Amino acid sequence: MPEVLTPEKLSTFTVALIGNPNVGKTTIFNRLTGLRQKVGNYPGVTVDKRYASLKIGNQSATIIDLPGTYSIYPNSEDEVIVHRVLNGLDKTSKPDFVLAVVDMSSMERGLFLVTQIMDLGLPMAVVLNMSDTAEEQGIKVKTHQLYKALGVPVIQTNARSNKGISGITDLIGDQMFEQPASFLESDRLLPEQLSTAIQERFSLTNSYQAYQLIRFHDKEPILSHEESEWLRQEIKGADFDIKSKQLQETQDRYAAIQQVLETVVEKTDMKKKRLTDKLDRIFLHKVGGYAIFLGILLMIFQAVFAWSAMPMDLIDGFFASLSASVAGLLPEGVLTDLITEGIIPGIGGVVIFIPQIALLFAFLGILEDTGYMSRVVFLMDRVMRPFGLNGKSVVPLISGIACAIPGIMATRNIGNWKDRLITIMVTPLMSCSARLPVYVILIGIAVPATNIGPFNLQALVMLGMYLLGVIAVLVTAWVLKLVLNFKERSYLMVEMPLFRVPRWKDVLITMYSKSKTFVFEAGKVILAISIVLWVLASYGPSGAREEAIAAVEVPADGASEEVMLDYQHNLESAELESSYIGIAGQFIEPAIRPLGYDWKIGIALITSFAAREVFVSTMATLYSVGSEVEDELTIQEKLKSEVNPNTGEAVFNLATAISLMVFYAFAMQCMSTLAVVYRETKGWKWPLIQTIYMTVLAYVSAFIAYQLFS
Amino acid sequence: MRTADTIQQGEVAIIDKILPSELTLNLMEMGFLPGKRISLLQRAPLKDPMAFRLGNTVIALRKTEAQLIEVILEN
Repeated sequence: MPEVLTPEKLSTFTVALIGNPNVGKTTIFNRLTGLRQKVGNYPGVTVDKRYASLKIGNQSATIIDLPGTYSIYPNSEDEVIVHRVLNGLDKTSKPDFVLAVVDMSSMERGLFLVTQIMDLGLPMAVVLNMSDTAEEQGIKVKTHQLYKALGVPVIQTNARSNKGISGITDLIGDQMFEQPASFLESDRLLPEQLSTAIQERFSLTNSYQAYQLIRFHDKEPILSHEESEWLRQEIKGADFDIKSKQLQETQDRYAAIQQVLETVVEKTDMKKKRLTDKLDRIFLHKVGGYAIFLGILLMIFQAVFAWSAMPMDLIDGFFASLSASVAGLLPEGVLTDLITEGIIPGIGGVVIFIPQIALLFAFLGILEDTGYMSRVVFLMDRVMRPFGLNGKSVVPLISGIACAIPGIMATRNIGNWKDRLITIMVTPLMSCSARLPVYVILIGIAVPATNIGPFNLQALVMLGMYLLGVIAVLVTAWVLKLVLNFKERSYLMVEMPLFRVPRWKDVLITMYSKSKTFVFEAGKVILAISIVLWVLASYGPSGAREEAIAAVEVPADGASEEVMLDYQHNLESAELESSYIGIAGQFIEPAIRPLGYDWKIGIALITSFAAREVFVSTMATLYSVGSEVEDELTIQEKLKSEVNPNTGEAVFNLATAISLMVFYAFAMQCMSTLAVVYRETKGWKWPLIQTIYMTVLAYVSAFIAYQLFS
Repeated sequence: MRTADTIQQGEVAIIDKILPSELTLNLMEMGFLPGKRISLLQRAPLKDPMAFRLGNTVIALRKTEAQLIEVILEN
């Protein structure tokens, strides 16, 4: 008899990973989920939410990786997310279960967060991670005792060596999470009457939730006006002061944890000096520390340029020949033109970034993963302070070299608003990877590849462009510090984790997922613009095009090949000039002429206001329109040979190229950055101010550059 | 009473009290609690911030934050 298969309903649930910073949460997440990860946004905010679906048996679990936090009372924006998720304020990501990760060698602090989550009443389990370092330091934990004390399952792991990971998978698969009893007695938190009243009114299930509501009711727009008014009256009536209560809670909680730890932790005193301490003597050295930091930065640049040159050339060549072969394959017509002259060069202009971006992200991932980034924060804090920045600003700024968007999102762990805002405002001035191809092309055109001493002149100019960005960051930050009058206290509290060997697999995962996000996000914009641009360049107001073509002098029969080529060129030029985009370019030409640009560059300026990388694809489109694609000329060679038909001189001379590079270094030409700044600053004020100051800075500096070099 | 910013390299101190300020809670949440041993590990090149050893962790604080931590030197 055939077996009857009854389709089982796939049960789905969500598990949130929570823990202090640097306890190995992300390693566990990567071990559990591998390449299945997706990056999304938390509703209403732009911080990356990493999540992945995991199939275990006939169940499907969604695992969410939350930002590291020391308590459920948020200090920085990063931590607000944890608070929101735990309290179900983000309906879509409310977890069914919590997996709390604790560093086994600093359990006291880890359990502080764990017991807070326990008091919230969420079903949970505890992972004691980094058992190897704990053992090195003579720390042993009686897991079963801890289970008895807390009432939630406890697993010991060492995620780096994969030890205990299968235990976590089993635990998730069997849903062995347990809802613990409250850790702190509720009468220590709230007067019973007040607690009961609040629980009834807002249908909460325990005292700690009521306590949380009091703590956050004015920060979260979750309550109606009437509700928060009622709450205020109740608090006042009970004569309840949340601030002093919270200090009391903190002390009581630590005291209770101390009692638990006395029974579960065995510690033998090891006098061994930690390797990390020895390494810190080198990496944090007065002089040596900075030399190493500078050396690492230089090495990254060197690698990003040298190692990526070859794959980039290959990609460039590949798209040029792809365009040519597609043109040969498809029948001639409008659609073919759109594909070969608009879409393929447009996409090629994005794809060519992949090697550089992937490398940059890989290096940043390694710096972060080894624990070196927080040393940079330590080294740079005092240096950055006079500029209104802070040690933590260095991380967003360095990330900004890859892309301003992750950089601006990284400002979320800067606790105070003033430092954070200034960092957000200046981060887009760092020369991001989207500027790179613009620099590469223009330097290639205008700067000779000669050597000055041991240095290559082109490389020096490139370095100069990056330094220009850094100088602009510091000066602008300093000006903003003077202008913005905030009273808020600036502070720095940062933990320096143990130095570690980077987890190469994790670096690869980061590299892959970040590059993918970048390419697809940028790709969408570029593809859309490429198509619009091609249409606008191929069509013009009726009549204007015909007139322009008619105005070009037709050479006599039997004219030399040179004359015929010239005619061809003039014809293309006239066609483009009379197209919609040509008209737009000419419209702004008077405004950009003092900077040394013609109307074609004007077109590129207009289109690249959405994204800088569009400059290259615009150039590719503009200079392919109507011309033969079979010759497989790359963009750089095409631009180099571009001659102004009126003066007969090269369009891209040194002055124009430098001026254009300076313009691209400073102008706010990135819609995505604007969108992120809008969301991070919760309004249009700051993105607007940012756009204006950057555009003015770009125009004035480009003007000065042009005058200096021409 | 000495505060943590005066600890010299090689000295070990016991935290006596965290002075009231808007950062008190943050410091306590990170583990700066009365009764804990604390020592200075490194001073940044321009003397500020300072890296303190607290239990098995190392935490960097600026001088102004270290001044919120009252300590008693051991011995």
